[in-house]
Amino acid sequence: MIRENLTAVVARNERWSGVSGTEPYEAGWATEAVIFVRALAIERGPDAAADVLPPTARVQVSADGMRWIDEGTVFPMPQSTEHDTCARIARFGNWLRVVTELPTGVAMKVLVTLHLK
Amino acid sequence: MNSELLQALRLADPRLSRFDPLRRIIAFDDFDRGFCGWTQLVGNYEHTLDAMLPGYAQHTQAMLSTLPTWDFGSHGSVDGSYALKLASRPRKGAQNVTLKRLTFRERGPIRVEFYFTFKPEASEMKLSETDVRSIGFLYDLQGGDQDEGAAADRVMPHLRFLNALDGEHLQKWQFKRRTKTFHPIGTENKTVSHYHLSPDDWEDLPGGQQRLCYNEIPTKVNWHYACLDFDLATMQATAFRVNDRRFDMSGFEPIRIPAMRNLWCMLNLCFFVETDVDKRAFLFLDSVCLSGEF
Repeated sequence: MIRENLTAVVARNERWSGVSGTEPYEAGWATEAVIFVRALAIERGPDAAADVLPPTARVQVSADGMRWIDEGTVFPMPQSTEHDTCARIARFGNWLRVVTELPTGVAMKVLVTLHLK
Repeated sequence: MNSELLQALRLADPRLSRFDPLRRIIAFDDFDRGFCGWTQLVGNYEHTLDAMLPGYAQHTQAMLSTLPTWDFGSHGSVDGSYALKLASRPRKGAQNVTLKRLTFRERGPIRVEFYFTFKPEASEMKLSETDVRSIGFLYDLQGGDQDEGAAADRVMPHLRFLNALDGEHLQKWQFKRRTKTFHPIGTENKTVSHYHLSPDDWEDLPGGQQRLCYNEIPTKVNWHYACLDFDLATMQATAFRVNDRRFDMSGFEPIRIPAMRNLWCMLNLCFFVETDVDKRAFLFLDSVCLSGEF
């Protein structure tokens, strides 16, 4: 049988601000995942600091889909709507999610996809 | 091939002997083989995703799950490791939908059979039997491009098991014959959208009370069998079975709306789940068999 291969859109046009992340996703059948994050829109409010550091995203894993710990992979969040970012991971067990913390005054509409095989 | 031989062959096949398909199997989806063409229901949009109705914007991708539990590990499916899992978000009233998009060849009887179970996320150590509001399924159908008048209508038979509402354990099957207002999408006058899974307009199926096996803690599940017979010629439901119960469908009506410009011969099959509390609700499908009498 041909190998399973899935593109899963796990966040579509979701407006993220502050601590945000994707819904828990089970992918125990897969041995590897590539995670893409695309910014569909970036909002900077008047209270956003001009010299704010680029935020990063963290991959998290879980034993039960409810209690989460950092997997160790950290990658940039997109800095514009033109430049997507990605991370490649393996040996993640079953549960996966991506979390980030956007700086005060900054919000993003994101498209997050998992590419699993 | 005569029907007795066909029946004998299917009964001898362990994969099919727990189904009663009509003559032609249109799709036999056992999620131990993967996603089998089940995807997420994305709402209509034009120019921007912001145009999508909020009911659709909340939808996410179904997943292949071993029904893992924090207290005893993977539960597994009926005859293997994996089931298709549909999860709502953890917000009261949140819904999610998975579907398969086909078209039909013959306007005659079709039958969908499936093994299913549902549970809330086991985030509390209590029974939680009223946390899942509903699970259900629907067809989204439309007549052929040469059909005229009502024969060309878009027809959407909906059935849901209303497990609980606002904490009350109701446990009954319902149907829906009305849908919500159509909203134009975008600026090119080519796309509209309506959220037919809104909480409104559900009606009780006469005699549709049913106490399904839920088990005794929030992580144990038992699988249920369901079967709906529908006639594409008359666009009427003809029979509905769940486990040992057979329901009278004479009072059932589907949603009927005028034909739309791009949906000829559409045969979509959708499953959905809805939570009654700020906790994720899960619908699990072990397998789905869609068959037709042609």
